[in-house]
Amino acid sequence: MIWILVIVFVVALVLRYPIAFALGLACLVYLIGAEIPLILMPMKMYSGIDVFVLLSIPGFIIAGNLMNQGGLTEKIISFCNHLMGHIRGGLSLVNIGASMLFAGISGTAISDTASMGSVMIPAMKKEGYDADFSCAVTAASSTVGPIIPPSVPMIIAATLSGLSVGKLFLAGAIPGLLLGVGLMLVAYFIARKKNYPKHPKSSFGQVARGFVDTFWSLLMTFIILFGIIGGIFTPTEASIVAVLYALVVGRLVYKKLNFKNVQVVILDSMKTSASLMILVGFANLFGYILITEHIPQTISNEILGFSSNKYVVLLLINLLLIAVGTFMETIAALLILFPILLKVAIAVDVDPIHFAVIAVLNLIIGLTTPPVGVCLFVASSIGKVSIGKVSKAGFPFLLVSLGVLILVTLIPEISLWLPNLFTD
Amino acid sequence: MRKAIGKILKIGTLVSTWGLIAMVLLQIICRFSWFETPSWTEEASRILFIYAISFASGLALKSSNYYVALDAFYNMFNPKFKAVLDKSIPVVIFILFAVFAFYAIRFVSLGMIEKSPSMGFNMGISFCSMFIIGATLCYYAWHKIVKAYKKKSA
Repeated sequence: MIWILVIVFVVALVLRYPIAFALGLACLVYLIGAEIPLILMPMKMYSGIDVFVLLSIPGFIIAGNLMNQGGLTEKIISFCNHLMGHIRGGLSLVNIGASMLFAGISGTAISDTASMGSVMIPAMKKEGYDADFSCAVTAASSTVGPIIPPSVPMIIAATLSGLSVGKLFLAGAIPGLLLGVGLMLVAYFIARKKNYPKHPKSSFGQVARGFVDTFWSLLMTFIILFGIIGGIFTPTEASIVAVLYALVVGRLVYKKLNFKNVQVVILDSMKTSASLMILVGFANLFGYILITEHIPQTISNEILGFSSNKYVVLLLINLLLIAVGTFMETIAALLILFPILLKVAIAVDVDPIHFAVIAVLNLIIGLTTPPVGVCLFVASSIGKVSIGKVSKAGFPFLLVSLGVLILVTLIPEISLWLPNLFTD
Repeated sequence: MRKAIGKILKIGTLVSTWGLIAMVLLQIICRFSWFETPSWTEEASRILFIYAISFASGLALKSSNYYVALDAFYNMFNPKFKAVLDKSIPVVIFILFAVFAFYAIRFVSLGMIEKSPSMGFNMGISFCSMFIIGATLCYYAWHKIVKAYKKKSA
């Protein structure tokens, strides 16, 4: 019976059913075939989303969108431009740097590619950067977002495993910074080789003004992070404090928010959250079916039967997650695979927090892996360049991302040092 | 009719979201003041969250591009097959959520005999959110079907 579930899901995905509905459809067909009461569908949907920590997801999305309504993307880009624009290939560094700062606001890679790409790709093309390079940098840099806190995939991983959201946020910080710096180095070397343009150096005053403009958004990330780590707020409370903060800053500092556009932002954010929660609800049912069919144990036994060496197991998991991340949206893949693979990782003595970082990193690298990485598609459609060209130009960035993944996998301290430091 | 339903869902989403924000803020304010945090705030915020999600789920389908799908393979299909898919996918979504809504009614009736742990109200009220998800997604899937067939006849 389990094959029906898998086949219907895969076929529906290939036929371009929305992922959430593909999951629901597969579950429906399975339940009918297995003669299980269909009331399980609303029951599991309800129990899947009736989780307090999930309330933080709409909170962070609303706060990010409210900040963006105040023209934050342009302000971050302008600040990075003053800071790094004078270096050869400065705009590509600005693209990556802005994604690192924007990461704390958007929290998802695809939205980062779309929002950053719509501003940066045309600007880079206008200054004489190759279109394929501009798209490749944008796609690669947007993968930094979901790992630097606050990270929606980390909240989902915490919900699925009962791990601390604060610890997961901290665990993603250093790998995220490593990824960002690695991508900047590659962009710089390519820019030097291709002799891409640079801007005149900005004055100290311009840099300072840029900093003041973006200071309020950066402060929001710190309030969230230190509020959670310091035990002042729960993740849900931190997200609502971020909403309140964004409302105050957007109204009094950026002066862009009014009653009408706040309602529009909230509606838009709740639609995004709803589409995620329908996915979470059906994934809860999907996961329940997998458990009743003993699939996690079977997969765990198969992997551990192949090898019980920690590094071989992690290598197999990495390969599986990158392959899945290539064609599947990060949160959907995490919802389905994380609980299963976490059991395997724990069996070979991998710290669950370390494993959560590995899993998220794998899935976001998949987003820029050819031939079907979702971020590559988004960037190539904005830049109007073929996916093949973007994939080729993105290859050096992919290599760096894989290098960071190997480091994070082999050296647990990269992920665990910060959470251990603050917990101790 | 369609406009009225859309408006009700929008108002429902906004009221539930502001309610959720107010509940969590109340929790925080009470914790940092002399007042004791009311025990019902967590439950109220969870229920408001589920309601906000249920009202917004249909609106998300109406606006398209919120429910992420995999485009990679679709782009390889020939235009005829793509046209068939564009018409059949809303039909399948309609059926999926019609079944969901039907069983959500049974779920609501099960909730009628349960009381919520801290607020003490009928759980059927809370479970009703699942019916809203089923019904609204079904409704907007139906509109997509009508739109797809009108496009063909035009």
